[in-house]
Amino acid sequence: MLVVLGLLGWYNLAYAEQIAPSLLKGLAVTVGLVLIVIPIGFAAGLLVGWSRTSRRWIARAVASTYVEFFRGMPPIVLIFFSWLIATRVLQFYFRVDDPFAIAFTFGVLALGFHSAGYQAEIVRAGILSVPTGQLEAADALGLTPRQRMFHVILPQAFRISLPALSNEFASVIKDTSLISQISAFELTLVGITLVNNATRIDLNLVFIVWAQVALLYLLLTVVATRILRGVENLFKVPGLEAAQP
Amino acid sequence: MVRVQGVHKAFGDLEVPRGVDLEISEAEVLCLIGPSGGGKSTLLRCVNLLVRPDRGEVYLGDVRITDPAIRPEWVRQQIGMVFQSFNLITHLTALKNVMLGLRKVKKVPPSEARARAVHELERVGLRDKLNAYPAQLSGGQQQRVAIARALAMDPKVMLFDEPTSALDPEYIREVLDVMTALAKEGMTMLVVTHEMGFAKNVADAVAFMDEGQILEIGTPEEMFDRPKHERIRGFVGKILG
Repeated sequence: MLVVLGLLGWYNLAYAEQIAPSLLKGLAVTVGLVLIVIPIGFAAGLLVGWSRTSRRWIARAVASTYVEFFRGMPPIVLIFFSWLIATRVLQFYFRVDDPFAIAFTFGVLALGFHSAGYQAEIVRAGILSVPTGQLEAADALGLTPRQRMFHVILPQAFRISLPALSNEFASVIKDTSLISQISAFELTLVGITLVNNATRIDLNLVFIVWAQVALLYLLLTVVATRILRGVENLFKVPGLEAAQP
Repeated sequence: MVRVQGVHKAFGDLEVPRGVDLEISEAEVLCLIGPSGGGKSTLLRCVNLLVRPDRGEVYLGDVRITDPAIRPEWVRQQIGMVFQSFNLITHLTALKNVMLGLRKVKKVPPSEARARAVHELERVGLRDKLNAYPAQLSGGQQQRVAIARALAMDPKVMLFDEPTSALDPEYIREVLDVMTALAKEGMTMLVVTHEMGFAKNVADAVAFMDEGQILEIGTPEEMFDRPKHERIRGFVGKILG
């Protein structure tokens, strides 16, 4: 479509080509961020979601507080705090060598923990959706509570959670754009930088920059969703797919 | 083999069972009959500690299993249980369902567990359904897999909680046949059921339970032909039509 627009003279293909290498570098960084943030969010989300279904009240209380806190915080604020803690507190009081690297690390962790707050609820819903009969059957066989969790509950909970998880992963991909605020050269910051240069040349180029950035994010989420769809098929249970077309 | 002594269990205001004594000897088949809500299922669940009694004791052989020091997992791996709604693990094939306890509880090596599972499924007539998932099986087939799963653990006692109540009529026979064969082989069985034919022909003893207590216990002949309580006569009459 863009090529057609280009041929019609409404889209500057030459400029698009000129900025492509920088954008691709930004894309690579974004992909890297996603590949770090999602596993952190998933691992922490699983742990917290599991704790929310625990019989021990202390585990439930800690997990609930976690979810309330991280769901109530805009991710951008968490990232600003990461930066403030790294550059103000750590740099001034502990004289760390590279506060920006630390700010970046904290920012990535913050995004992961923020996503974990949402994923915890997805995991909890998945765990609770496993019928009691399944738990009784596991107990009656003599499985320990831990074995019951790993061999009976989690595989089923995971399968049920996949569509909701794929939603959350799409959110995470776009949330990584917030890291641009603490100068990590991912896709969005590359876009911002290009725009700052472009406005000096021709304001119309700004559209081209953001169109390309938008396209790349779209590409990323589509690919991620496709991968998750593949995982869903992998976990499909024959005879149980009646609800699918 | 199993001895239940003065077992009480309360759910809120509802107290079922309330003070039940019951004894099942080795190779005996005891059927528990009676109206719904009378505490039959709860009593059954007290035997493998799926429900922990508030008061009273349960013995398995010489072991007092209601002793808090006894691990419930240890008790349960010696007692097979078959549920009304089958409760096969939905994401596992028939074969994997039967192998689960062997692998994880008894730690049997994979090839041996597999052979044993195949053997048990053969016994219940499902040799050709090894790789079917529960949702691909009929109710009767699912229940037979559930019986195979319990038998694979070499249980000392088998508990059946209304094993045919959730089945379409055409599948009831095949499940009762498997249970009858099992009884003939000398399995110790405690069966909660509304299948009066099964209780009459297969049981060694029948107990009538209502309002949390065992009203009467006797041989099938005594219970069906000349019960001491009018209530039992009425209940049996209603079910047999």
